[in-house]
Amino acid sequence: MADIGKWKWLALAVLALVLLALPQVVKSSFALDIFIRILLFSFIGVAWNLMGGYAKQLSLGHAAYFGLGAYTSTIMQIDFNISPWIGMVAGGIVAALASLPIGWLCFRLRGPYFTIATIATAQALMLIFLKFRDFAWGAEGTTIPNLGSAPLMLQFETKASYYYVVLGLLALGLFITWRIERSWMGYYLVAIGEDEDAAEAVGVNAPRIKRDIYMISAFLTALAGTFYVQYIYFIDPATAFSFSISIEAALVSIVGGIGTLWGPVIGTVVLETTSTLLQSWLGSSTGGIQLTVYSLILMAIILWRPTGLMGLFNEAWQRHLHRKPVRMRTSP
Amino acid sequence: MLETVAQAVINGLLIGGIYALVSIGVTLIFGVVKIVNFAQGEFVMIGMYISYFLATYFGVDPIVSLLVSMPVLFVMGVLIQHFLIRRVLGPNDMPQIFLTFALSLLLLNLALLLFTANYRTVHTFYSDEAFHFGGLYVPEAKLIAFVVAMGLSGALWAFLRTTDLGKAMRAAAQNRDVATLMGINPNRVFCVAFGAALALAGAAGSLLMPFYSAYPFVGQVFVLMAFVAVVLGTLGNVLGALVASLMMGVAESLGIQFVGADSGLIVVFAMLLLTLAFKPQGLGGGRMR
Repeated sequence: MADIGKWKWLALAVLALVLLALPQVVKSSFALDIFIRILLFSFIGVAWNLMGGYAKQLSLGHAAYFGLGAYTSTIMQIDFNISPWIGMVAGGIVAALASLPIGWLCFRLRGPYFTIATIATAQALMLIFLKFRDFAWGAEGTTIPNLGSAPLMLQFETKASYYYVVLGLLALGLFITWRIERSWMGYYLVAIGEDEDAAEAVGVNAPRIKRDIYMISAFLTALAGTFYVQYIYFIDPATAFSFSISIEAALVSIVGGIGTLWGPVIGTVVLETTSTLLQSWLGSSTGGIQLTVYSLILMAIILWRPTGLMGLFNEAWQRHLHRKPVRMRTSP
Repeated sequence: MLETVAQAVINGLLIGGIYALVSIGVTLIFGVVKIVNFAQGEFVMIGMYISYFLATYFGVDPIVSLLVSMPVLFVMGVLIQHFLIRRVLGPNDMPQIFLTFALSLLLLNLALLLFTANYRTVHTFYSDEAFHFGGLYVPEAKLIAFVVAMGLSGALWAFLRTTDLGKAMRAAAQNRDVATLMGINPNRVFCVAFGAALALAGAAGSLLMPFYSAYPFVGQVFVLMAFVAVVLGTLGNVLGALVASLMMGVAESLGIQFVGADSGLIVVFAMLLLTLAFKPQGLGGGRMR
């Protein structure tokens, strides 16, 4: 076991080096854009997975926090000229606070009806931002002033800099997940995910744990929202509260492996690569093809491999481990 | 003023009848098969397209095409239950939620691919007609839709109460294990329940066609409404879903009349959130019927 542990750290170090060196080697802005998307959606997936994966609270409303983060930092930047770096943290706090009343409502329901309630809250927030144009520009949205190279305002001239920012976010998300996985909270989360009533019966304070993990998950999702609108220099309710954000957050985790550290990352790599290939083969004009393929992948995973691609890898790895001694015994 | 309110209530009740068909389907599946069908709205959409194509290419009246859309969707429902849903029934929520959700995404995006995002309408000879009572008017197409919807809801209710299969369905809803011990084949019952629910959604689609446009995303409007009505009317309760749907229709219509044309959805979400905050068991107090 100790050996495998050492190999894991080595593999992680190699992966980190490759990811850090990537923008120095790949200069194409098209390719960097894809890498940034992969890292961003991995990060959103990691944030979703904390609550959806470990505690099995299957939210389809994480766009609410993505949008709150995006709007908080943008309003602070445009109306008060406060750096989006500060706005990003502020957005995270706003999202974490917003998760309290939203969670209070939605956690009254379990299973599929929890999911529906989360969809409704995200949609309701989008409608609010569409309707009230006084403080949030209504349906037209607004462009975010392009300041050129202003690292202190979270604006850069090269895509590589954005790449490093979102890589840092993903590293943060993975580190938090890793720490939680190993803490008492991680075990409580898994217990709640397995059987909430049983977990409560043995003394897990399920409502509190769910509230806490929802806050952490909302906080992280909001950081992604700020990053995204700073990256595209534009915000409107349809972008910031897009249902497709909520879908993708859940999808990448399920396809990759729900409730695993690396699942969301693997899921994003597979889905985004598929989507990029599809677009280059068919052109981006064919509406609906991307989600058609995503939904087919999702159905295949659910029907044949509910543990996701991580489950597939783990099985293959176990088979590999168990084959060795058998071979030793049979060979003379 | 009073007349405006009365008119808004009439409009709400009429569209509420359509919501009822969708909600009853959702609540029937939830009650019997114990899953939430996220794709229910997409079957309304399919019903609409069936009626649209029958009307456009064969001149079949949308109300008559009910006789095609309902059986087609019933068969679809049986096949979906038998080949897909059956495989994910178990204690785990995740596969159930995301299988029907994936089905919804798939059907929606296939429709987008095949039929494009264009709005399609069917114009019938009664589409623009209306009955007048004093200052109030009742559009004929909506009245027909409402009456047929109520008739179908009543037929389903009678079916659940009086026939052996209906009783078996209610038995399976109450306690699956005991029902199985009594010789009820759960998969057969589930197939019929799923098929019946989809047939109702298809009927809703056909009934909508004379006064509503078909487009790939159309189901989303109705399914959200249905989910709220099903929570409001207590999960799994057919009568509750019916009453709640009519209430939702009226609430939405009053919202549009007095708050603004784009506020219908806000009213619906407000109702959902208020229900969750104060009556999470639904208005029926949590009893399943």
